Amino acid sequence: MALLERTLASRELHDPGFIRRIFADTRMAPLWAVARLYLGYQWLLAGWHKMWGSERWINLPGEDGLGLKGYWERAVSFPEKGSPPIKYDWYRDFLQYMLDHEAYHWFSWLIAFGEVLAGVALIVGAFTGLAALAGATMNFNFMLAGSASTNPVLFILAILIVFGWKVAGWMGVDRWLLPALGTPWEPGGLVRPMRGGAGPGQPPRPRPT
Amino acid sequence: MKLALLGAGVLAWLGVAIIAVLVVNAWSDGNLVWPFFPIAAAVVVAWLIGEWVTERVFLSGNSEEVRHGSA
Repeated sequence: MALLERTLASRELHDPGFIRRIFADTRMAPLWAVARLYLGYQWLLAGWHKMWGSERWINLPGEDGLGLKGYWERAVSFPEKGSPPIKYDWYRDFLQYMLDHEAYHWFSWLIAFGEVLAGVALIVGAFTGLAALAGATMNFNFMLAGSASTNPVLFILAILIVFGWKVAGWMGVDRWLLPALGTPWEPGGLVRPMRGGAGPGQPPRPRPT
Repeated sequence: MKLALLGAGVLAWLGVAIIAVLVVNAWSDGNLVWPFFPIAAAVVVAWLIGEWVTERVFLSGNSEEVRHGSA
């Protein structure tokens, strides 16, 4: 019992200086801006092809989402030789469920718009952490469906940007958005007065200890 | 005056979004390197405008810099 208490006792393990330098120091903002721009450009390009490209998924004269339907059908299939694209049965079941319910009609819009929005948000640095997280989620799903392509590299980059969310958008709209809106644990200048806290120009309320 | 400055900053970043979309539309044939540069240039210009606006709108008084996630 004492061992359990000692193991689960509250301790705060501090990050080393270089980790804080990389993920929380505004001097690293230019580096994060380059990473953010590269990732955003890739997403915008991918979304653009799905929306307006010659092999687009949506915005077609006929049914929408047939491109996605073909992609899902290839992903859930079992080839005569070699291993299937999807390794996890639960993910194959999920895609099969989506196919059976013809979800590709609306899901293709969700993916195309999601990619364009994530790309633009990363480029302008607005809600950078959330945009990178959305991108990482899409990368993760593409990889689960058996598509390697650029997804592993973009996924790693997105995860790094999620870790560096505080400074990744410093050279961007987040420079204003984060102080204005704040976070769930630290309301910003616009939200604080609405919650009955200190208004702009006034010192923030003391934190509970 | 501050509202106008803030509007200029917002417009600068809106311009980046528009330029990014136009550039991708113009050069979407392949995954090229060149489209990256006009977008990056637009971001740098918008950032400089943003910093200029920040200095005049947010840091002119005794405003504090909010550091989210700080200890």
